[in-house]
Amino acid sequence: MDRALRRKIANYVFIGLCIFGTVIALGALALILWSLFSQGIGGMNPLIFTMDTPAAGSPGGLRNAIVGSILMCGVAMIIALFIGVLAGTWLAEIGGDTPYGHVVRFLNDVLLSAPSILIGLFVYQVLVSGSPIALGHFSGWAGAVALAILATPIVTRTTEDILNLQPNALREAGMALGASQFTTIRQIIWKAAGAGLLTGGLLGFARISGETAPLLFTALGNQFFTANLGEAMESLPHAMYNFALTPYEDLNKLAWAGALLVAAAVLGVNILGRWLARDKNAGH
Amino acid sequence: MTDTTSADFQSVIVPPPEGSLVLECKKLSFYYGQNQALFNVDLPVKKHAITALIGPSGCGKSTLLRTINRIYDLYPGQRAEGVIDFEGENIIGPKVDVAALRARIGMVFQKPTPFPMSIYDNVAFGVRLHSNKSKAELDEIVERSIRRAALWDEVKDKLHKSGLGLSGGQQQRLCVARGIAVNPEILLLDEPASALDPISTAKLEDTLEELKSDYTIVIVTHNLQQAARLSDYTGFMFLGKMIEFGPTEELFVKPKVDKTGEYIGGRFG
Repeated sequence: MDRALRRKIANYVFIGLCIFGTVIALGALALILWSLFSQGIGGMNPLIFTMDTPAAGSPGGLRNAIVGSILMCGVAMIIALFIGVLAGTWLAEIGGDTPYGHVVRFLNDVLLSAPSILIGLFVYQVLVSGSPIALGHFSGWAGAVALAILATPIVTRTTEDILNLQPNALREAGMALGASQFTTIRQIIWKAAGAGLLTGGLLGFARISGETAPLLFTALGNQFFTANLGEAMESLPHAMYNFALTPYEDLNKLAWAGALLVAAAVLGVNILGRWLARDKNAGH
Repeated sequence: MTDTTSADFQSVIVPPPEGSLVLECKKLSFYYGQNQALFNVDLPVKKHAITALIGPSGCGKSTLLRTINRIYDLYPGQRAEGVIDFEGENIIGPKVDVAALRARIGMVFQKPTPFPMSIYDNVAFGVRLHSNKSKAELDEIVERSIRRAALWDEVKDKLHKSGLGLSGGQQQRLCVARGIAVNPEILLLDEPASALDPISTAKLEDTLEELKSDYTIVIVTHNLQQAARLSDYTGFMFLGKMIEFGPTEELFVKPKVDKTGEYIGGRFG
């Protein structure tokens, strides 16, 4: 067989494998979305947003879980953005090239891939039971902290990457006008990287919005409505987990509706993030 | 031909008249870590004149410019030795207030660097850093600076739109306006026209010509015609050394060092 033909065949085989892999991955995603949608849409009705966890056989909704998820994710993101943006900025602008900086970056990467259930156990030890500052009971605060620990390394990583993309000339231009490094970062670099920083936050949010494991030992779950982070708190992933395990069909339906809600929220947040990032690039 | 590598190498310097200098580099050496980029460079800078630095790529002219406002401080491992005498003070010294120095010695970069904010805020940025001006005073400074940078007619109706929306040439003049808004004594320009089209370049050159009545300008350029057109004094650098410095006309018409003549004549570079 001559070389040209062999190359041609190798080329087709390789492209074929690539297409095969892509179809499998996309097919799995399509199947997941389809089963979510077809099963979840049946449980969707206004009562979901107005009623709390029902007893089996009576009507109910997901209000307590939705509010709990929003509260805990919200607090978690405030913590994660505060720590993550500052840490990422330190890595990109100040200490990233020092030996200490390398250690911090490595530990952040380790944290990035730490199993979420371990983070839940850790927060249980610190904030629920066993340490001097533990509250002694499950709470929304503990859940929020566990989620924050999950989201922080993502925000840190994205922040560092985005800031590294900013041209050095911009930093020099700020300093050349007599601005301090802090002023240059705060007023010029963060502004230039704004959409990217936001994307990091949205990625972090997408990561934590579907987490059950770190909430099991921390927020526990609560079949009654509460907006008090000092009490045990329900969350959408935890409600899904509970309802899906029961033999009752109406509760199973609620679980599917909750799953659809979480998926829709994650999808919406991802689209929003991409749109914001693109808006910036196309802005000039 | 001048041997630029031997130890007894001597720059040929024809300095501006006594007492007319605002800044003077004396025996200035510069290091990027282990690599020495400047060797005992002398550079007299005359007040309210345009001084051009020319030479082939990598000769150290940008490095020399970057020592004058200590922008190299941003990078650990870069250091300067020698003297830069700016109104009686050696600004290479460790006790210098670098932020205050940079307010007095402004800089415009090779690529336009507008900040991600409105045109107005771009120009007001430096002013707000160094003083507490009222809104009316600030308005006045912003307008005056943009006018002096010959940009006013093009942007007066969109001062509160983003500076990123301007063309490259307009952005560069915006950077000039931003630089002169803090009223520096010296303005350093590092190949400011290299990213611009000929029309924008001409506008920028007009701007600089006009500015030299009030400001001292030091410009690094690859464009020999630009140096000849614009500057009053020119320094020719090669391999980190100041080969020849003198009045622009003399240096271009009757260079005293063979190497200068070869470069200007286009025989290398």
